[in-house]
Amino acid sequence: MKKLIQMTINDTDCEIAVRPNQTLADVLRQELGLTGTKKGCEVGECGTCTVILNGKPVNSCLVLAVQADGCSILTIEGMQTDEGLHPIQEAFIDKGAIQCGFCTSGMILSAKSLLDQNPHPDDKEVRTAISGNLCRCTGYQKIVEAIKGVNE
Amino acid sequence: MKSNNGMIGKSIPRIGAIERLLGKPLFSADMELDHPLVLKVLPSDRHHARILDIDTAEAARVEGVVEIFTAEDIPRNHLTGIINKDRPLLAKNKVRSKGDAVALVAALNIHAAETAAKKIHVVYEDLPSVHDPEEALKNHASKVHEKGNLLFTRKIKKGNPEKAFEACAVVVEKTYRTSFLEHTYLEPDAGAGYLDPDGNLVIIASTQNPHYDHSELVSLLGVAPEKVRIVQAATGGGFGSKLDLNVQGFIGLALYHLKRPVMCTFTREETYRMTAKRHPLKMVFKTGADENGHLMAMTAKMICDTGAYGSYGLAVASRAPVHATGPYEIDHVDVECRCVYTNNPFAGAMRGFGVPQAAFAHESQMDLLAEALGMDPLEIRRVNALKAGHKTATGQLLNGSVGIDQCLEAVKPHYENALKTWLHGETDFAKQRGVGLGAMWYGIGNTGVQNPSTAHIEMDGEGRITLYTGCADIGQGSTTVLSQIAAAVLGISPDMLCMVVGDTAFTSNAGATSASRQTYISGNAVKNAAEKLADVLLTEGVDLLKRPKTDLMLENGFVVYKKDPDHRMPFSKIAARAAKRGIPLRWQGYFDPETVPLDPETGEGVPYATYAFACHVALVTVDVLTGEVTVHKIIAAHDVGRAIHPASVEGQIRGGAAMGVGFALMEEYDPSTTRSLKDYHIPTAMDMPEIIPIIIESSEPTGPFGAKGVGEPALIPTAPAVINGITNAVSARIYHLPANLERVLEASIQSGKFTMKEVA
Repeated sequence: MKKLIQMTINDTDCEIAVRPNQTLADVLRQELGLTGTKKGCEVGECGTCTVILNGKPVNSCLVLAVQADGCSILTIEGMQTDEGLHPIQEAFIDKGAIQCGFCTSGMILSAKSLLDQNPHPDDKEVRTAISGNLCRCTGYQKIVEAIKGVNE
Repeated sequence: MKSNNGMIGKSIPRIGAIERLLGKPLFSADMELDHPLVLKVLPSDRHHARILDIDTAEAARVEGVVEIFTAEDIPRNHLTGIINKDRPLLAKNKVRSKGDAVALVAALNIHAAETAAKKIHVVYEDLPSVHDPEEALKNHASKVHEKGNLLFTRKIKKGNPEKAFEACAVVVEKTYRTSFLEHTYLEPDAGAGYLDPDGNLVIIASTQNPHYDHSELVSLLGVAPEKVRIVQAATGGGFGSKLDLNVQGFIGLALYHLKRPVMCTFTREETYRMTAKRHPLKMVFKTGADENGHLMAMTAKMICDTGAYGSYGLAVASRAPVHATGPYEIDHVDVECRCVYTNNPFAGAMRGFGVPQAAFAHESQMDLLAEALGMDPLEIRRVNALKAGHKTATGQLLNGSVGIDQCLEAVKPHYENALKTWLHGETDFAKQRGVGLGAMWYGIGNTGVQNPSTAHIEMDGEGRITLYTGCADIGQGSTTVLSQIAAAVLGISPDMLCMVVGDTAFTSNAGATSASRQTYISGNAVKNAAEKLADVLLTEGVDLLKRPKTDLMLENGFVVYKKDPDHRMPFSKIAARAAKRGIPLRWQGYFDPETVPLDPETGEGVPYATYAFACHVALVTVDVLTGEVTVHKIIAAHDVGRAIHPASVEGQIRGGAAMGVGFALMEEYDPSTTRSLKDYHIPTAMDMPEIIPIIIESSEPTGPFGAKGVGEPALIPTAPAVINGITNAVSARIYHLPANLERVLEASIQSGKFTMKEVA
């Protein structure tokens, strides 16, 4: 039995019928075609499915879609503004913080959530904020530098 | 060499980076197909067993199930494997490890596929299993494969080490062990497939070698090569594991029979359970030096556990002994490495092919020798470092780029400063600081075998240039680097090139993205193709500009007269004229490094055309009461020949060091318990220190613009440096990786550092 839920995704209202056991990650990816949200483990351990839900970063694989009823969600597809890349995205390019790109969406959303709360984080604060976002390619340093540099 | 128009050594924007920031690239699991069937593999839950029966009747009745395949459904050759074909796509008659694929379900949805997989009844007759490679070599051991459990032996012999040991001032003999490791790329293996309008099988996959996948699919299905097309999707890391046929064969099999779109996406648990691991090695090293620290002789007995299947085991078992001396000249060498089947999960390629394991041993030995002789660890490495004119253990004369001494020189100020100041800085009462060194060498390309790359370049009638390469970019940035090399030869900006990458319908074989080979080998193939086109453009230019060829150059899409840059001809005009005259503007490039196969008895030969070198310094803090190790900083000097794209080189170095920290301190795959990332820890942002890359450019004459490689070298020196740092901190050495809390604490207790006195 499906349930009708309403969400605001990337500033666009949407209404969708979901199964009660469907995760938010699956609804975003399969029903809404927002495949920028990745699935690296499906049990909340890798961070590649991170989205911002009502201002807070969540592993969308651990959130049931029905729990997101009435919520506002930001995914990687909503980061770019009319003026172009978001400053965090610019910083990732400038610092060379991208390799394979599979962790990148989640990293950027964790970074946004941090910077919204704390615009000038130090090294440790950045590392803590992205400690749930695994990266196997970069060694993290350029990602940390990019996030720290956004508002500098 | 044509003009390098500033494109070499420049960190241009990486191809695909902006798309990745926007979440746009389509990884395999992101593919949108028309109502695809989903595939689910039933893995074996037995270590070693005969298959007496597979009953799929109940599973087939699950609503939504379309078909269930077993080995009998494989049309042609059921065995796969890049070096030796021993791994069945689906188990036939018996299983050799937990994780062997037994059956494949195709269903309308994942729920049906998973439910059905659980309802397949396999009747097994358990066989004795063997899980230790030394046990597996005993006469009574159960045979994993009919031909026996010894897959391969590599021997390297030079001089007479036993006699040379007698003359040594100091001889050190120790046993080292490493564990199974899991690559843990962030993107679990995945692929999708469909039939094109001509009925050809199109398979889109996360892969490091689309052309190998293609040959394997043709072999499995027994179809004409042109009936199969492999397209590399955006690939979320590989580190060696995506060299095997992980999902591609299942997709091909289902597509072949069902002729409708299919998808196969592994869960993390499936990726852990059904893909290759890093070979665990047991290594007994004996090394002797004279009173001045000159290495006189070394012997090593190595045994590597390749689990149930060979995969890249032969390459690992060849590379590890070839590199066992480390980047040092030793006149008397005797090394033997045996690669052995067991009923463990199969082991294959993982970043470094056995050299990270070997480096752990040879660099520990260097520190032990230095200690015995009262020498500084950096000094003993400098005394022995390979130089041009030296001969390696395989008798290869090094005459090109040998930058190990430059790497040691480059880290020296950092190392000395760390010893002088950081080491003695104030710390918590339970914390001990240590500084460690790790050096390495690494042959670029496959070991003593042909491993060519090809590429094509084409100019259309309007002067637009397309580069075709089969080289899989798995995140390291090869597409960008290859575009820079072609652009440099043709005197254009890389963004003027159209890149066609990793699609067997359009690109030719570039070989595997492995062995740190793509910049050197595919880079040379691309350069070769671009030079042929450049030569035609210049030759045509002579006729059009009425100037001698030597006075012409290529610049910004024009053939230009050097002495008067206004006297020039655009590529578009030359292309139009060539098209009219029937002159082809499509050229193939080819490069195969010059190697000589290794002698089976002595190992004599030329395994690689060139080598990369590196040295890392690790600053570590050990909590002697808990065993916790914190890596404070890593300084990483790498001789890469020439850094075509310095930011990417530094990216490889930093990422490699992170994997090295994991190898040193935390990563261990236990076949019976590791299921997810909570059981298998890789370094998080909190675990990683600052890494200071130092790029050394000892130009390689045969490299494209002098380049060699860096992908695997980046990881290799880190673990030895960290281990030597821990030893420096707690005055006790760890011989078994990873140096986890228990092992470090044990070392701390053994050395007397663990003492409550300090608490008071």
